[in-house]
Amino acid sequence: MSKDRLSIPDYNTLFSEHRFVEQRLNKQQFEAPCSEQETAEALAYSQSAEYMEKNFNRKAVVINPHKACQPLGSIMAALGFEKTLPFVHGSQGCNSYFRSHLSRHFKEPTPAVSSSMTEDAAVFGGMSNLIDGLENSIALYKPEMVAVCTTCMAEVIGDDLSSFIGNARNKGVISEDFPVAYCNTPSFVGSHITGYDAMMKGILSYLYERSGLEAAPGSGEETGEKLNVMLGFEPYTGNFAEIRKILEAFDTKYTLLGDHSGNYDSPATGEYEYYYGGTRLADVPLAANALGTLSLQKYTLKKTQDYISGTWKQQVTALSTPLGITGTDRLLEAVSGLTGLPIPASLLEERGRVVDALTDSHPYLHGKRVALVGDPDLLIGLIGFCLEVGIEPVHIVCSNGDVDFNEVKFKEEAGALLASSPYGSEAALYIGNDLWHMRSLLLTDPVDLAIGSSHLKFAAKDANVPLIRVGFPIFDRHHMHRYPILGYQGALNLLSQIVNTVLDELDRNNSGFNYDLVR
Amino acid sequence: MDPVRKVDFDSEACGSQTPKSKPCPRPKPGEAAGGCSFDGAQITLLPIMDAAHLVHGPIACAGNSWESRGTLSSGPSLSQYGFATDLNDSDIIFGGEKKLKESIDYIAGRFAPPAIFVYSTCVTALIGEDMDAVCKEAGDRLGIPVIPVNSPGFVGSKNLGNRLAGDALLQYVIGTGEPEPETPLGVNLIGEYNIAGEMWDIEKLMNSAGISVTSRITGDARYQEITWAHRARVNMVVCSRALLGLAREMESRYGIPFFEGSFYGAKETTYSLRQMAYLMNDREMERRVDRLTEREESRLAQDLRPYRKILKGKKAVLYTGGVKSWSVISALKELGVQVVGVGTNKSTEDDVRRIADRVGDDTEYIPEGGASRILKTVRERKADIMIAGGRNMYVAMKEQIPFIDINQERHKAYAGYEGLLRLAKELTYSLANPIWKLAASSAPWDKEVPYDR
Ligand code: SF4
Repeated sequence: MSKDRLSIPDYNTLFSEHRFVEQRLNKQQFEAPCSEQETAEALAYSQSAEYMEKNFNRKAVVINPHKACQPLGSIMAALGFEKTLPFVHGSQGCNSYFRSHLSRHFKEPTPAVSSSMTEDAAVFGGMSNLIDGLENSIALYKPEMVAVCTTCMAEVIGDDLSSFIGNARNKGVISEDFPVAYCNTPSFVGSHITGYDAMMKGILSYLYERSGLEAAPGSGEETGEKLNVMLGFEPYTGNFAEIRKILEAFDTKYTLLGDHSGNYDSPATGEYEYYYGGTRLADVPLAANALGTLSLQKYTLKKTQDYISGTWKQQVTALSTPLGITGTDRLLEAVSGLTGLPIPASLLEERGRVVDALTDSHPYLHGKRVALVGDPDLLIGLIGFCLEVGIEPVHIVCSNGDVDFNEVKFKEEAGALLASSPYGSEAALYIGNDLWHMRSLLLTDPVDLAIGSSHLKFAAKDANVPLIRVGFPIFDRHHMHRYPILGYQGALNLLSQIVNTVLDELDRNNSGFNYDLVR
Repeated sequence: MDPVRKVDFDSEACGSQTPKSKPCPRPKPGEAAGGCSFDGAQITLLPIMDAAHLVHGPIACAGNSWESRGTLSSGPSLSQYGFATDLNDSDIIFGGEKKLKESIDYIAGRFAPPAIFVYSTCVTALIGEDMDAVCKEAGDRLGIPVIPVNSPGFVGSKNLGNRLAGDALLQYVIGTGEPEPETPLGVNLIGEYNIAGEMWDIEKLMNSAGISVTSRITGDARYQEITWAHRARVNMVVCSRALLGLAREMESRYGIPFFEGSFYGAKETTYSLRQMAYLMNDREMERRVDRLTEREESRLAQDLRPYRKILKGKKAVLYTGGVKSWSVISALKELGVQVVGVGTNKSTEDDVRRIADRVGDDTEYIPEGGASRILKTVRERKADIMIAGGRNMYVAMKEQIPFIDINQERHKAYAGYEGLLRLAKELTYSLANPIWKLAASSAPWDKEVPYDR
C-alpha cells in the first residue's frame, strides 16, 4: 500500500493544544465548583489513613466491584460440555452482558441465549418464555444439550425450572430424550464462582441420574478411566493444555469434567461453528466409575465436590489453583496418590529447569511488596507463589465474602499459608471488599506491584503502581489467557510476567546513572 | 409481591407517530438478543461525566457493565466509577431502601457530585422499591438533585431504555438551571455520546462555523449544562431515534425547533450544519457554514483520493445497533463502498425508509440477529468486509472476514469530515492487512487439490 498520507491527531495530542486546554479551563466552571487547592486537599484526604478508616466503615455502597454474578459462571460451566447451549432464564440484558464479558476476555464469540422475559413474565411468571425459548433456540442453534440457569429476575418471581422444563416436554416442545440440565443462580447470592459450581453440579447430577447408571467407584468400567479432573472457573485456556500435558506424562486415563478451552480457543478456519470441544455428554455418567476426582479449585467447586464424594462415593482431592513449584508439587502428588502411578521423570526435569529460572530471577523479586486481588482459589495459589520466591504479599482482597463462601476455612488456610513464611508476616486479608477499598490500601500503604484483573488498573494508576494482569477479567491485554499459569510451565510464565515488569519499571524510572544492559 | 409499576406510556410508540409502527420490538425468547432497558438508560446518561451513577440492584447489572463504554471525558471522571448497592438475599426479602439511602449519602458526602442518578434494575422493580421517594427525600435533605431512572431491564429493549433516560432528563433536569447571561446560546446535541471522542470533532466543526453548543445530551457533558438545555435555540437529534421524544417535548414546552441529523459522511455533516444555521435563522451564520463546508468538502475529496481508489466497488455488510444504519450507509457510499446487506433489527419504519432510499434494490435486509444470519449474508453476497458491533467481531475473525467495529466500544471516531477520512483509513487497513492472505491460504504442504480434478 502507498504511504499513509493521513495525519489525524488523536485526542491525546489534540488535548494538549492550546485551544483545548483553554476550553477545558472554561468548562471547569460547571464542574464540581471547587478550587485547585480544595481538589488537592480532597485528594490528599482520600490518601490519608483517616479516610481509609471511613472507607472501610462504608457498608451500603459498593464502589468499583470486582466480581461478576452467578449466571456468568454458569455459562462458562455449560460451555465446558459438548454441543451444549447455555440458556439464561430471565430478561435479556443480563445475557448480553455475560456474552460480551466472556468474549472480551477470551476474544472469542460466546454462544448463549436468553428467554427474554418482559414485564408480562414478571406478572405471570416466565414459563411461556422458557418454553418458547427452548423451542426457538433448539431449532436455531441445534445443540445436543441445553443448560438453563436463572437470573435474579426469575428467582425473585420464583420460577420453578424443573416443572417448567417438564411442561415443555409434556407440550412436545422438547422430546423425552433431549437433555436439559438446569440450576438456580440468583445474582444476589454468591458470584461467578458460585454459579460455575451450581451449573457444574447441575450438569453432572442431571446426566448421571438420567443415565440410570449405578456408581461403581474405582471400577473404571467401560472406559477404564482412572481419574476425573475439574479445573473450575478457569479464565486461562492455556491451563487446560498444561494439565493435559501433565496427565499424559503420567500416562493415566482421565476425563476432564468441564473443558471450555475448545470453545474459547478455536482455530480460525474460515468457518465459525457454535460448538467446539467440551466434555462428551456420554462420558459424564461413566465418570462416576472413576478411581477418584481431582479438583483444582477447592473453594469454587464446593457443591460439586460434595456431590461427587457423596453420591458417586468417590475419593475427591481438592486443591486450590496449583501455582508455583510447591503448588505444582502438590498437584503431582495428588495425581500420583489418586492413580497409584509414580511421578514421571520428564516432569521432574521440567521442575528442575523452572527452579533454575526462579533462582536466576530471585534477586529482583526478593522483598518486593505486592497487593493481590482475585478469586479465593487463585489467591491461595498466588500467595504460595509469592512466598516461595520471596515476594511479600501485603494487601490481599478476595472477591468473595457472602454466605455461600466458606470464609472461615479460607481465612484459616490463607492465614496458615502466610504464617508459614516470614515473607507473609505483613499481609492482611480482606474478604468481601471492593476495589475502592483496595485503592485506599494502595495509597496509604504503598506497594511495589499490584496483581489482579484489568479492573484493578484504575486504582493501580491512582497509586502509580504497575499492574500485573492475572485472573479474570483481562480486557485490556491480548492473549494472556493462552499462556498457562499452573504447573511448572505456568510458574515460569508467571515468573517472567512478574520479573520483567519489575525490570521494565527499573528501566522506566531510571535517571540514567544506572541504565545498565545486563541484569 | 407488589405488581410492577407500569411505565406511563406505550412502549410500542417509540419514535414514530404512526400507530401501527413497532419501533421497539419485543425481544424473542431463545435468541442471543441484545441489551436491556437498564443498559439503554445507563448508556444515555453515563456520559454526564461529573455526575455519580448508582445502580440499585444486585451486582450483575453494575459489575458486568462497569467501565466498558467508549464514551470519553475531557475532565471529570466520576461517571467512570462503578457504584452499586449490591443487593443480597436479605435485602431482597427485607427491601433495599435503607441501603440505597445510605449509599446516596455516602456518595454525596465523599464525592460531592453535582447530581446523582439512581438506576432501577429488574430486581428493585420486582421487589417494589419506592426509589422515587428515597431519591426525593435524599435530594431534599442533601440539597443536590438525586434523580431516579426507572428503567428496569425487563420493560423492554435498549432503545426503550434510551427513551426512559430522556424522560428522566425532561422530568428532573432540563429547565432547572439558567446559563450565565454572557453564555452564547446555540444548539443542543441530543443523542451524541462522545464515543471515541466524536463529540470533540463535531464541536470543533460547529465552532469554526460560529455555532456554539448549548448542552451536550450527553457526550462529555457536565450536569449543569443540561439543566439549561431549554435555553437552546435549536435541537439536533443525532442518530438516536429513541430521543426524538425528548426533542419533540422540548419543542412543545419551550418552542425549540428540532431536526434529526447525522455526522456520518460528508453529505450528512454538511446537511446537519446547514440545518443548524437555517433553524438559528441567522443569514451570516448560514454563509459561514457554506464557506466552511465547501472548504472542508473539497479538502476531504483531495485527501480521500488514495483511499477511494482502493475502496471503490468493495462490498460491505453493515449490522449496527447503536449507530443508525442509514447514516453509515451514506458515509460508505461516499467512499465507494457498496452496502450489500444491512441489519434492521433496531430500525424504525422511518429508518428503513431512509435505508431504502440509500441502498440499491439488491441489498439484503437482515431483520434480526444471530451471528449465523449475518454470516450467511456475508457469504451469499460475497461481501469484502463486515461492519458491526464488538460482539460480532470475534465471529468475523473466526470466519476470516475483515471487520470494523462501529458500535459503542469502538476506539475510532468516525463523525464529521475528519471522521470520514478515519473511516476510509480504517476500512483500507482492515481490508489490506496481510493477515487475510495468510489466513486464506493453507499450509504449504497441504495445498488444495486443483479444482479440475
Ligand atoms: S436485564 Fe435486569 S438484571 Fe439483567 S442487567 Fe438488565 S436490569 Fe440488570
